[in-house]
Amino acid sequence: MPFIEVKGVVKRFGKTTALRGVDLSIEKGELFSILGPSGCGKTTLLRIIAGFEIPDEGRVHFEGEDVTDMPPDKRGTVMVFQNWALWPHMTVYENIAFGLKLRKLPREEIDRRVKWVLELLGLEGFENRFPGQLSGGQQQRVALARALAVQPRVLLLDEPLSNLDAKLRLKLRGELKKLQRQLGITMVYVTHDQEEAMSLSDRMAIMRDGRIEQVGRPEELYTNPQTLFTAVFLGRTSLVLGRVDDLHDNKAIVRVGKARLRAVNHGLGRGDEAAVVIKAEGARLTAPHDLGSYETVRGRVSVSMYLGPFIEVRLVLPGANYEVLLDLPSDVTPPSVGSDVEVYVPLRNLHAYPVEEEIVREAMEHT
Amino acid sequence: MAASIPLSLRRITSRIAPRARTDLEIVLLLYIPILAMLFGFVAPLFIVVVEASKMDFRELTSSYYIDLSSEAFNNFITVRELPNMIRISVNGFDLGVIGNSVVNALLVTFIAALIGSTTAILIGLYRFPGRRLLAILAYIPLLIAPFVNAYVMQRYFGKSFTLNTFSYVLSEVTRPLIGKDIMIEFSGQAGVALAQILMFYPIVYINTLAALGAIDATLVEQAINLGARGWRLIRSIILPLAMPGVLAGSTLVFILSLEDVGAPIIFRFHKVMAYQIYQYFQSVGSEASRPAVAALSFLMLVFAALPLIVVRRYLSLRYYARLARGAPRPFRGLRLGRRGLAAVYLVVLPVIATAAAPQIGVVVLAFSKKWIGPLPELLPLDSMFMNFATLTEIEGVMRSIYNSLSYVAQALVFIALLGFMAGYATARARLPGASVLDILSSLPLAVPGLVVAFSYYVFFTTYFQGSMLDPVLFPAHVLVLAYVMRKIPFTVRSVFTAVIQTPEELEEAARSLGARRARVIRRIVLPLVWRGILAGLLLSAIYVLSEVSVSITLGGLKGSMVSPDHVGPITFAILQLTTQATVVAGGTQPHAKAAALAVILMTIEAVVITIASRLARRGQALVTI
Ligand SMILES: Nc1ncnc2c1ncn2[C@@H]1O[C@H](COP(=O)(O)OP(=O)(O)OP(=O)(O)O)[C@@H](O)[C@H]1O
Ligand SMILES: [Mg+2]
Repeated sequence: MPFIEVKGVVKRFGKTTALRGVDLSIEKGELFSILGPSGCGKTTLLRIIAGFEIPDEGRVHFEGEDVTDMPPDKRGTVMVFQNWALWPHMTVYENIAFGLKLRKLPREEIDRRVKWVLELLGLEGFENRFPGQLSGGQQQRVALARALAVQPRVLLLDEPLSNLDAKLRLKLRGELKKLQRQLGITMVYVTHDQEEAMSLSDRMAIMRDGRIEQVGRPEELYTNPQTLFTAVFLGRTSLVLGRVDDLHDNKAIVRVGKARLRAVNHGLGRGDEAAVVIKAEGARLTAPHDLGSYETVRGRVSVSMYLGPFIEVRLVLPGANYEVLLDLPSDVTPPSVGSDVEVYVPLRNLHAYPVEEEIVREAMEHT
Repeated sequence: MAASIPLSLRRITSRIAPRARTDLEIVLLLYIPILAMLFGFVAPLFIVVVEASKMDFRELTSSYYIDLSSEAFNNFITVRELPNMIRISVNGFDLGVIGNSVVNALLVTFIAALIGSTTAILIGLYRFPGRRLLAILAYIPLLIAPFVNAYVMQRYFGKSFTLNTFSYVLSEVTRPLIGKDIMIEFSGQAGVALAQILMFYPIVYINTLAALGAIDATLVEQAINLGARGWRLIRSIILPLAMPGVLAGSTLVFILSLEDVGAPIIFRFHKVMAYQIYQYFQSVGSEASRPAVAALSFLMLVFAALPLIVVRRYLSLRYYARLARGAPRPFRGLRLGRRGLAAVYLVVLPVIATAAAPQIGVVVLAFSKKWIGPLPELLPLDSMFMNFATLTEIEGVMRSIYNSLSYVAQALVFIALLGFMAGYATARARLPGASVLDILSSLPLAVPGLVVAFSYYVFFTTYFQGSMLDPVLFPAHVLVLAYVMRKIPFTVRSVFTAVIQTPEELEEAARSLGARRARVIRRIVLPLVWRGILAGLLLSAIYVLSEVSVSITLGGLKGSMVSPDHVGPITFAILQLTTQATVVAGGTQPHAKAAALAVILMTIEAVVITIASRLARRGQALVTI
C-alpha cells in the first residue's frame, strides 16, 4: 500500500484550473520530488497533500486512510515553506518548541528534542536569537529544524532552497539528502530546479500544466523520457521537426530537411510528423570506435563558443531551418563558424515523439 | 430562475461543507459577523423601504419638498444701504426640503473637493518650508466638536444683531475708507453650505493625500525625466493617481452634508431632509409624520448610495489596505522656485487658516464668559477654567459623560470581537461570502446616521416591542448596537490591513505543526497584529464618542438632559447646551459650557488619534474616513 496516494485530484481557482486530474503514489521513506515549470501546479498539489486546500474532485489517502477532508493540523504532515515562515515574535527555541508543546510533551523531552535538532542542523548557540537576527541559510535550517523536531510522518518542502544563493543551495542540498537518509523520513520536495530534483530524489514526477507527465527514478526519466515535454524539459536539449521515413526496431528514421536522423521512437508511425529531441551532451568531432551506437549529424556551424567544460556549437541542418545544439569536449579546437562539420551524437540522445504544437513552439523560442 | 436559486444555494453549500469539516473556525469567523451585520444593519434598513412604501410619493412633489419656481432664489442675496452700514445678506436658495438637501450637498461637495484636492496636491507634490506644519494643521478640522463648531461659525459670518466677526474685522478697514461698516452675513442655505465646506473639505484633503502617499516615487520621477513639469505633471500623472482619493473623499462629504443636522439647526435652515428626520424624534408618538419621514429616509439612503456605485472599489478593504501600506518608496515632493513658493503659500495658507478657525473658536469660547457680539468676552484669568469647573453643576452633563463612557466600553467589546472576526475572515477565508463581508463592513460608512437612527427606531419598536431591544424601554441597548454597527468599519479595516500584511504561511506553518486555528490566532496572529487591532479599536472608540446622528435621536428617547434618567451621551449634551438658551447656570452663556465639553471631547480625540497613528505606524491613511 502506498504511503501517500493522490487520486484524480482536480483543483480550480475561479476560472483557472491549477490541477487537472493528478494521480500519484509515494512510498514510505522515499524522497519524492515534483518538478515542473512555474505555474504548473506544484505548490497547489503540495498544499492539497498538506490539507491547506481541498480538492474539487479526487481523494488523498495516507496509508489507505482517506484524509481529503482532514484538517491540516491532524495530518501529521509538516510543511516547509519557500519563505520559511519563521515566526518573527518567537526565538529560535520557541519556534522549534512550538510543535512539541502542542504535542503536550514534558518539558525535559521538549528540551531534549530541541537540542537534538539544533545539533543535527548545526544550530547550537542560536536558541535565543530571533529569526530577524539570522542569515538566510540559518533561517532555512531553523525552518527545517522546526519541522523535523516533531518527527512528522511526511515532510513537505516547497522550494525550500530557492531563496538562497547558489553556493549555499548546493551545500544545504547535500545536508538535506544526508538527513533524509539518516532519519528515513518520507519527503515530498517541490522544485523547479531539475538538477536539485535529480540529485536529491529517489523518484520524481514531472508536472506540466496541472498534470503529471511522467514519474520515475531520475536516471529513468533522464535517459528515457516518455513524453515530448519531459524530453525537452530535462537536460540541455534542442528540438527539430521532420517526417518519419522509416521504422527500424525501436528507432524511427526521421527526415529533417535533407538530413535523416535515427531516434528512439515513442509511438510514431511511418509518414507521421515527428519532433526529434536531441540532448547536447556526449557529442564528439572524431569518429568513435563503436560507430554503431552513434548518429552522425552534418551541418553548418552557426555558433561556436568555448564555455570552459565544453564547447557549445549550433549546427544548421542542410535544407532545414533548425539549429541543433551540441556540446563538444573542450579538448578539441572549436570549429569555425560557417564551416560544414560532422558531429557524432550518441544514439540514446535522440528521441522522436508525435508533434505537440505548444511544446514545440515553446522549445523553439527557448533555443 | 426559481430553480436556479436552490441550485446556486446548493453550489454554495457544497463549497462550505468541506471547509466546515476541515476548518470549522474559519467558517464561524466568516459567517457570524455576516449574520450580525445582516441582522443589525441591513434588516433595519429594509424596514425603511417598507415604511416608505406606505407613503404616497406624489406628496413629495409638493412645493414644500421640491420647489423649482423662480421664487426659490428670491432671497439669494440682498444688499441694503443703511445710514452707517451696508448690509449684504447671503441667504442662498430654498428649493424645498429635498431640493435643498441635494443641491446643497452637491454644492458643498464640489467646492470641498476643489479646495481639498488642490491643497492636498500642493502639499503632497511640493516641498516648501512649513509643509509639515501645514500638513498637521490640516488635520485639526477632523477633531469633531459638534454643534459648537457650527455655532462658532455662525458667530464668524452668520446673522447677528451686531456685526459678526468677519464683518467686524472688515469694517475696521472700510470705516476709514468709505465711512461705513460693511456687514456680510450668511444665513439659511448659504450659511449651512459655508459651514459644511469648512467642516468637510479636510476629508477630501486627507483622502487625496493618502492616495498620493501610495504613489511610487519612480512613477513621478519617470514622468519628470520625460519632461513633464508643473501643470502637465499634475494633469497627466498626479491627478489620475490621486483621483480615487478625491472621489472617495468627495463621496463621504456628500453623505456627511446630506446627514448633517448641526449646521441646519444653528443656521436655522430647517427645510432639509436631515432636520426633518431629526425632528421626528422630537415628537415621537405623533406617528402621522412617520411615512413621510420614512420616505425622506429612503430618499436619503438612495442619494447616499448613488455615488457609491462609482467609488465602491475605493471603499473596499483591499483598497484601504493598499493605501494604508503606502508606496514602497513614496514620492517626497518637488522643490519649488521662489514664484512657485509664493503661489503655494497664497493658496494653501488661507485655506488651512480658515479650516482650523472653527476649532480655534471653540477653544476660545470654552474660556469665555460669552460670545454674543463680534468678539468673545474672555473669562478673567483667575477663573479661566470656570466653564470646565462648573460643568459638574449643570444638570445632566455628568450623566451624559457617564453615558458616553459606558456606551464606548460596551460597544468596544462587540466591535473588538466582531471587528476582529470580520477583518480576519475577509483576509483569510476563501469561502463564498468573503466579498459580501468586505462590502458589509464598509457599508455603514456610507449610510447616513439619521437613516440608521430612524430605521433602528422603527425596526426595533416594530419587531422587538417589549424586549431588551425595544428602544422605548431600553434605548441604551439599541444605541450601543447602532454604535457598534456604525463604527465597526474602522476596526475591520485596521484588522484586515494588519492581517494581510502578515504572510499567511506563518499561520499555515503552525497549522501543519498541529495547531488548530483558534490556537494559531492566539499564538501567531494576535501577537503579530495587535497593534493594528488596537489602533482600529481606538479609532472606533473616538468615533463612537463623537457620534452625532444616533446620539441626538435615539439618545433623546428618555427625555432631555434635565430628566434624571436621560440616556443621551456627550454629543447630545452639547446639542442641548447649544440650543437651549434657557439652561443658564453660573452666569455664563450655555454655549460656552458646551464649548468646554467639546474641548474635552476634542482633547480625547486628539490624544487617541495620535496614539492610534503611532500604533499603526502610518498616521495619514489610518485617519482616512
Ligand atoms: N489561491 C489561488 N488563487 C487563484 N489562483 C491560484 C491560487 N493558487 C494558485 N493559483 C493558480 O494555479 C496555478 C498553479 O499555481 P501553483 O502555485 O500551484 O504553481 P507552481 O507550480 O507552484 O508555480 P511556481 O513554480 O511559480 O511556484 C497558477 O496558474 C496559479 O496562478
Ligand atoms: Mg510554487
